[in-house]
Amino acid sequence: MSQPARTASSVTPSRLGARAAARPAARPGRRRDLTALCVVSVLLILAMEVASRFVPPFIMPSPLVVGQAVLELLTSDWHHVSVTLLRLAAAVGFSMLLGVLIGLLMGTSRRLGPYLNSLVIIDTGIPALSWMLVAVFWFKDPEARIFFILTVILLPFYALNVYEGVRSMPKEWVDMMESFRPSRWQLMRYLVIPHIVQYVFMTTKSVIGYAIRMVIFAELVASAVGIGSRMSLAQSTFRIDYVLAWTFLLVVLNLVLQSLLNLVERHVLKWRAEAKVR
Amino acid sequence: MNPIATPTTTTQSDAFIEMRDVSKHFGDFLAVDQLSMTVRRGEIVALLGRTGAGKSTVMSLSMGTIAPDQGTVRVGGADPSREFDALRGKMAVAFQTDRLLPWRTAVENAELGLLILNHSKSQAREAALHWLARVKLEGAEHKYVHELSGGMRQRVSLARALAVDPELIFLDEVFSQLDHVTSQVLRRDFSRIVREVGKTCVFVTHRIEDALDIADRIYVLDAPARVCLALSVSEQTRRDPRALADLHDQIAQAIGGDTESAGHDPNYSENQDLS
Ligand SMILES: Nc1ncnc2c1ncn2[C@@H]1O[C@H](COP(=O)(O)OP(=O)(O)O)[C@@H](O)[C@H]1O
Ligand SMILES: [Mg+2]
Repeated sequence: MSQPARTASSVTPSRLGARAAARPAARPGRRRDLTALCVVSVLLILAMEVASRFVPPFIMPSPLVVGQAVLELLTSDWHHVSVTLLRLAAAVGFSMLLGVLIGLLMGTSRRLGPYLNSLVIIDTGIPALSWMLVAVFWFKDPEARIFFILTVILLPFYALNVYEGVRSMPKEWVDMMESFRPSRWQLMRYLVIPHIVQYVFMTTKSVIGYAIRMVIFAELVASAVGIGSRMSLAQSTFRIDYVLAWTFLLVVLNLVLQSLLNLVERHVLKWRAEAKVR
Repeated sequence: MNPIATPTTTTQSDAFIEMRDVSKHFGDFLAVDQLSMTVRRGEIVALLGRTGAGKSTVMSLSMGTIAPDQGTVRVGGADPSREFDALRGKMAVAFQTDRLLPWRTAVENAELGLLILNHSKSQAREAALHWLARVKLEGAEHKYVHELSGGMRQRVSLARALAVDPELIFLDEVFSQLDHVTSQVLRRDFSRIVREVGKTCVFVTHRIEDALDIADRIYVLDAPARVCLALSVSEQTRRDPRALADLHDQIAQAIGGDTESAGHDPNYSENQDLS
């Protein structure tokens, strides 16, 4: 259970901010990325196969057995997968909306900004584990628990990155807009909001893997349905093949979501010149 | 014909921009020092000075994006920084850097001012396309900013300013950023447009030639910004190469630049910079 807290600090907001500043980043050949991914996967599978010859199957089953387990899960447990995905989508969507709103206020409201900022800073210092335990006390409904846990964990990432985005906006652009005497809303609509879209994408991409891990943990603590609860069941019934099969599926899920995000981003941010760093 | 430095006095009524003893500090740094100047309606006035003289600061003061420490600034009868919205729809600026928004295409950038002034989408688009054509950007309307060259971006920014049909236009080093041929073509095009529709224009430049080419009057600024020479350029003077060369020398002297290479025919000394 100490893991979520540790993972949380490894994706600290300051690192996200630094990554934002480094954009546009280099995108080396996608073909090469794919090849590397395949090579590494095959090597890992080979290593599993070799290991499975030397240790009993309840320690490391053969990849073939795990593959079979994957197929079984995909036919029998589809419901659990979709529940987890829905929870993920709801929590990420809501944190994004609220986080962007808070980030915008932090960056644009001289009166509210500092207070929201302190609130978010304090939130980032609270370990994910604390939220999980507190959620068990506060909420009876498992959906409410999971939604609450994910939201309080993800929201500060969005808020801080959007805040960073607003602050990094060139003053020259603001002056240019102001020469036309825009309303506050027009300034938001034509300048601030389009500018922070890239920060929202960046945040989502760097947070999605973490969000998947968190939703699994939250399900483990709080719910009887969903991938997390199924994994816990597999563990208590000594089915390591199922545990590994779920793990495999989660890794694939992360990859699929990442590439989907990349695809959408490439479309939405097509105005951005990709810098090629060699 | 004799290029006389004429101290300019105007009546209150036809003054569009009026600056009286304006000073501006940035921290301890004095950027504008007791500057007084007047721009009348329908005039093209050049602010000429070395890089760092404070020309852009004077422009920001008249735009109202910064306020003076001392003195008064009136534009169209209002204080541009305190009565910020009084100039809504009356003023447009093409800045020293293009300041285009990268997520908008050329035409989307050009129509930005009109959208802010609540014109309909179709009206804004139509006007933007019209002005892009006038600055010779046909075919590039739907390109994103990163696909345009520096000169093209500068022209989009000019179109963005002209499209709102302002009474008062500020241009900050717009021409001096371009190559000389493009600069001259665009400059003359621009001055024709401005005179046709009777607009008032203040343009900032560090190139004497640019100023002599289209300005009715020239304010030469010292650093920190203070008027060290004010003169008028008539159409007659503009057609007389010798008179122009004299004016050129006079200005170069006022700025304290080296006058030895000051061209005798401004058309052949285009690439002489003060920067
Ligand atoms: N916002 C600012 N803060 C501090 N110093 C400034 C600022 N804007 C301009 N300056 C300083 O004021 C001087 C005049 O600047 P500027 O008006 O841009 O000159 P010009 O446009 O004539 O080249 C420069 O020395 C510049 O460094
Ligand atoms: Mg300048």
